[in-house]
Amino acid sequence: MSDQHNESARDPLDQALASLSRDVQPSRDLWAGISAEISASSPVTSSPRHSVTSSRSWLQLAASVVLIVASSITTYVVVHRSMQEQVLQAQQSATQQLQQAPVLPAMPASFGGQEAMGAGYVQARAALDKEFQQRIATLPPVTRAKLERDLADLRRAAADISATLARHPSDPLLQELLLSTYQSELGMLGSVTDMTNATETRL
Amino acid sequence: MRAILSMTAAALLLTGLPARAEDVERTAPADPRGQVEIVTASGEIHVRGWDRPEVKVTASISSSEQLRVDSSDQHTSIRVVRSNGGPTHGATDLIVNVPRTSALTVSTISADQTIEDVRGAQRLQAVSGSVTTQVWSEELQVKTISGDIEIRGNKDSSEVSIQTTSGDITLADTAGDLTLETVTGDMDVSMKELSRGRIHTTNGDLHLRTRLAGDARLDAEAINGDLRFILRKPVEAEFDVETFNGAIDNCFGPKSVRTREFAPGNALRFKEGSGGARVRVKTLNGGVEICKE
Repeated sequence: MSDQHNESARDPLDQALASLSRDVQPSRDLWAGISAEISASSPVTSSPRHSVTSSRSWLQLAASVVLIVASSITTYVVVHRSMQEQVLQAQQSATQQLQQAPVLPAMPASFGGQEAMGAGYVQARAALDKEFQQRIATLPPVTRAKLERDLADLRRAAADISATLARHPSDPLLQELLLSTYQSELGMLGSVTDMTNATETRL
Repeated sequence: MRAILSMTAAALLLTGLPARAEDVERTAPADPRGQVEIVTASGEIHVRGWDRPEVKVTASISSSEQLRVDSSDQHTSIRVVRSNGGPTHGATDLIVNVPRTSALTVSTISADQTIEDVRGAQRLQAVSGSVTTQVWSEELQVKTISGDIEIRGNKDSSEVSIQTTSGDITLADTAGDLTLETVTGDMDVSMKELSRGRIHTTNGDLHLRTRLAGDARLDAEAINGDLRFILRKPVEAEFDVETFNGAIDNCFGPKSVRTREFAPGNALRFKEGSGGARVRVKTLNGGVEICKE
């Protein structure tokens, strides 16, 4: 060990390195500037950014799923209707009755109050809702009242979850339940339309 | 003036009151494994399975309606149609005998359905009407709008799918796969064994009593409805329960834990026995109770 140390001591390069100063003092105090930069950028942290990105991705996925369901139901209803000539007659009759029927408000759909659902979803929902209103106008008053109450319950539940989600935007349970409630609403609109159409046209 | 009143009264009698009911009977040959379809509005339908290779329809029908029975090799269609194309004023009661192993499709508006001893697949739809039926080993699909559903099984394994908006569901002595969807209707379900279950309710309560198959999968979701599971031994399952505002009551021992520091939320995860089955429950405000029988 001491031999090695002695040999390095004799090396000219080592001697040159040993002659260098171990600390280099800056020409001025840099810490004040560094501290100011850190303070200026401190509100942005990696965690919320990840949460927002994750939430956005989730929202896009959720909106896609809802849109697919809505589009499928709408397409089915439209195709089904076009195949059944007699439905037109029933619709004309239903439309006349609809003008006298109370209108059930369709609340705007949003995802936790942060982002409204996409235009495709809104259009599909509006089309289904219109068809639904026409169909239930042909049903007995007691049945119509029950359906309107059930639809109002669904929409109230969706509004409640959406409002809660606005307070807890990254909660996956709320996101999942809101998505399934929207799907239930679309399912109910489509199912009522389909069932009444199918039975009426066969009679 | 008196003449005008008389004419008005006569017109009302012709258009507004039920026409006189007439008893009609039709019989048609039918394949024992064929399909029978029944469509009608208003009244009651009673379908019974029997041993004969024919369909027999007995109807009490108003003069403003017609009974149509069309039969081909595999398909028999029974319809009560309006003679004038206008709205029906009468209530037609149908008693239909079909081959016991027939596949049955029934679609009604404002009519109650009762089906007995039909062992083929059934697809039953009722708009404003109840459905009462039995299930054997074939598939059963029931959809109602504002109508109660009562199903009795024979402990055979089958695939049952039920969708209703405000009707209550009573299901007893079935086994196999189960799908339930309701908005406000309550569900009272008793099964011999559950293999696959998907349950969704908005405001309706669930009471499910069953044994879980070894590899069972059960997913249940509620917004405001309470979910109660009574499980028969042996219970070999993993449980994953999560609620936002609801309470969790677990008879198996493990307690739920809070999932959020500054917000509501409870979760319960535990394994009972070997844990081959999976039970996944999610609610917003609904309570969850899991107990063993």
